[in-house]
Amino acid sequence: METVFVSQLKPFLDAVAGQMDLYVPKKAGQHYVFNVYDPSATNEVELNNIRACTPVKEFLFPLRELAAAFPEPFEPKQIKPFAIFGLKDCDLRSIEVLDKVFLEEEFEDPFYVARRQKMFIISSDCFEPAESCFCNILDGQPYAESRFDLNVSQSTGRLSAVKDGFIIEAGSRKGKDFLEKHSQLFTDIPEGALAERDKIRAETKKQLEQQNAEMKFDTPIRDVMTATQDTDVYDEEAKTCVECQACTRVCPTCHCFYLYDTKQKDYFGKMKMWDSCMRLAYAQVAGGANPRKVLGDRLRHRLMHKLAYFVDRYGINMCVGCGRCVDAEAGAVDIRNVLKKLNEELKGKSKKEVKVAK
Amino acid sequence: MNRNLYQPINGEITDIIDESSTIKTFVVVPEENFKFKTGQFVELTLPGEGEAPFTPSSSPAVTEQMDITIMKAGRMTGLLHGCKKGQKVGIRGPYGNGYPVNDFVGKEVYIVGGGVGLAPIRSLFLTLVDRIKDFKTVMCRYGAKTPEDFIYKNTLFGSWQKIEGVDIKLTVDKANGQWKDNVGVVTTILNPADVDIKNAVAVVCGPPIMMKFATLKLLEFGFAPKDIYLSMEKNMSCGVGKCGHCMIGKYYVCKDGPVFTYEQIKEYPNIWD
Repeated sequence: METVFVSQLKPFLDAVAGQMDLYVPKKAGQHYVFNVYDPSATNEVELNNIRACTPVKEFLFPLRELAAAFPEPFEPKQIKPFAIFGLKDCDLRSIEVLDKVFLEEEFEDPFYVARRQKMFIISSDCFEPAESCFCNILDGQPYAESRFDLNVSQSTGRLSAVKDGFIIEAGSRKGKDFLEKHSQLFTDIPEGALAERDKIRAETKKQLEQQNAEMKFDTPIRDVMTATQDTDVYDEEAKTCVECQACTRVCPTCHCFYLYDTKQKDYFGKMKMWDSCMRLAYAQVAGGANPRKVLGDRLRHRLMHKLAYFVDRYGINMCVGCGRCVDAEAGAVDIRNVLKKLNEELKGKSKKEVKVAK
Repeated sequence: MNRNLYQPINGEITDIIDESSTIKTFVVVPEENFKFKTGQFVELTLPGEGEAPFTPSSSPAVTEQMDITIMKAGRMTGLLHGCKKGQKVGIRGPYGNGYPVNDFVGKEVYIVGGGVGLAPIRSLFLTLVDRIKDFKTVMCRYGAKTPEDFIYKNTLFGSWQKIEGVDIKLTVDKANGQWKDNVGVVTTILNPADVDIKNAVAVVCGPPIMMKFATLKLLEFGFAPKDIYLSMEKNMSCGVGKCGHCMIGKYYVCKDGPVFTYEQIKEYPNIWD
C-alpha cells in the first residue's frame, strides 16, 4: 500500500498522534506556526497553504541546548518519536541541507542524529503560494515528490466535482508501515482524484513561475554568484540592512551555532546556541582581526555560502527559496533583488544601470 | 553512534613556562593518550569559562602530554594566562589537516614565521628534524618585535642552530643594545638566493599582516601558489566543519585547514583580515 485516500484528515492525524507526539500548523496572524496536536480540541485540521513561518530546524537543532559538561561528560538523551504535519517541499529540502552538515560521516552531531532518527515527516502540497515564495528558481516546487514519510495532497475541492478528500502517499518504509497498520482508515483512490491533484499542482506551479518570472537565469545561479563576487551590490543592499539577524533565525538552512561555556550549580556546561553570520563579531578572532568587519562583506558571505560555497561543497543549494527571510526582515534586504541585480550585472549591464534598476 | 564530538576529554595543566611578557607555554596532560599530526589544532576548554583553538607546539611523537604556547590577546587567552599549575582543562580534537610533511620529502623547506606563529612551526620543525635526512634543507626565517619577544629562546638560540641541515635566520622589528643581528620585518631576511625555489616549499605562519606580506614576497621570488603553505588563523569554534565561524569561501578552516596552500584560497575575499 503506497497511495491511499481519506475524506477527512482528523482520523488520520488522530492515528498519528496515537503513536507519537504530533505537531500541526496553526494560523497565527497571517502566518502558520506549529502547535502540539490535541485530538480532543479539534474537529478538523487546517491545511496550511504554504510553509509555516518558523523553520523546521527548530525541531532538529534547538535554539539552545547543552552539548557537553564537566567534570562528568554529557551524552544526548533519548528523544520520543515525533511527527510534523504540513511541512512543504522547501522544508524537506532544508532538512536535506541540515543532514549534509550534521550527519557527515566522520563528524556526526549526536544531538541532531537523536532527533532526526525519531522524526516522522508528513508533508503536504502548497496551494496559493505567498508573495515571497520563490522555490521554483532554486530546484524546488510547491509539492514534494520525495524526502517525506507521508505526503498529503488535496485532490479536489477547488477544481472539480470529484469527491473532496486527500491523497496520502508513502515515501519511506516508515510511511508504508504506517499506512498498512492503519489501513482501515483509508480507501482506494477514487477515479480521477490523482488527475485532479496533478491539475492543482500544475496550477500552483504555474502561479509561482508567473510571480517569479522576473528571475530568469541563463547561467546557473552558482556561477552568477561566483562571477560577480566582487560586485558593489552587497554593499548597496546592506545599506537597507538593520542587522536584526531575523534572516538567519527564520532561515531553515542557516545552521551556524555558537559554543559557550557556563557555570551551573554542580557542573560546568558547554552550550550550543544558534548564531548569525550577520553579527559583527561573528568571525572575529582574539586580537581583533575580523575578515568581515563590513556589513556588505557579511551579506556577501551569507549569500555566497548559500548559493555558491555550499553548492561547491555538497552539490546542492543552501537556499530553498522559502522566502521566510523576505517576510521576517526588519530592514529591506531582499535576496530576490540581490539575485536579480547580480544576474543583470553578469549580463554585462553597466553598474550604473543596475543601481538605477533598484 | 560516534562519541559526542562536543565533549572534551579532561586534562590538567602541569607546567607553565614564561616565554615572553605576553606569551606562555602550557604543558597539558590529557587523561588519555592524545595523538595529533603536526599542524593540527585542539580546542582547549577552561571549564565554565570558554574554549579556544590552539595548535600544539610540541612534537606529535609525544602523546602523553602536549605543549600549547599562548599569547595573551583576548578574553580566553587572558584567563588562561591567569591559570596556575593544576588547573583542570578540557581538550577536543585534534582537528584539521596538519602539515603535509610527506609532500615536503626531498625538498627544501623554507619556513617563515612571526611572533607567536612560531608555536605551530616549532611542532613542524621538531617533526622535520626527527627525519632531517628526508629533506634537502630546513630553513627557518623568524621575526619578533624585540629580542625579548622571541619564544623558545633556549632552543632557538642554542640547540636548533647546531642541527645539521638546518639554517636559521632571525630578525627583530626593534633592536636593543645586545642585538647584533638583522633589524626589520621578517620579509627583510627573505632572500631568493637562499632557496632553490623550483625545488622548495614555503611554510608561513604568523600574524595576518606578516602572512600577507611574506606571501607576496614569496610569490615575487617565484614560488608557485601551490607551494606556499599557510597556517590560517580564523575563529575555529566547533572544530568539525559545522558552526561556520572559520569559513574562508567554501572551506572550513577547522576541517579543511588550518593549513592551506595559497593556491586553494587566493580567490576568496578578505583572507588576510
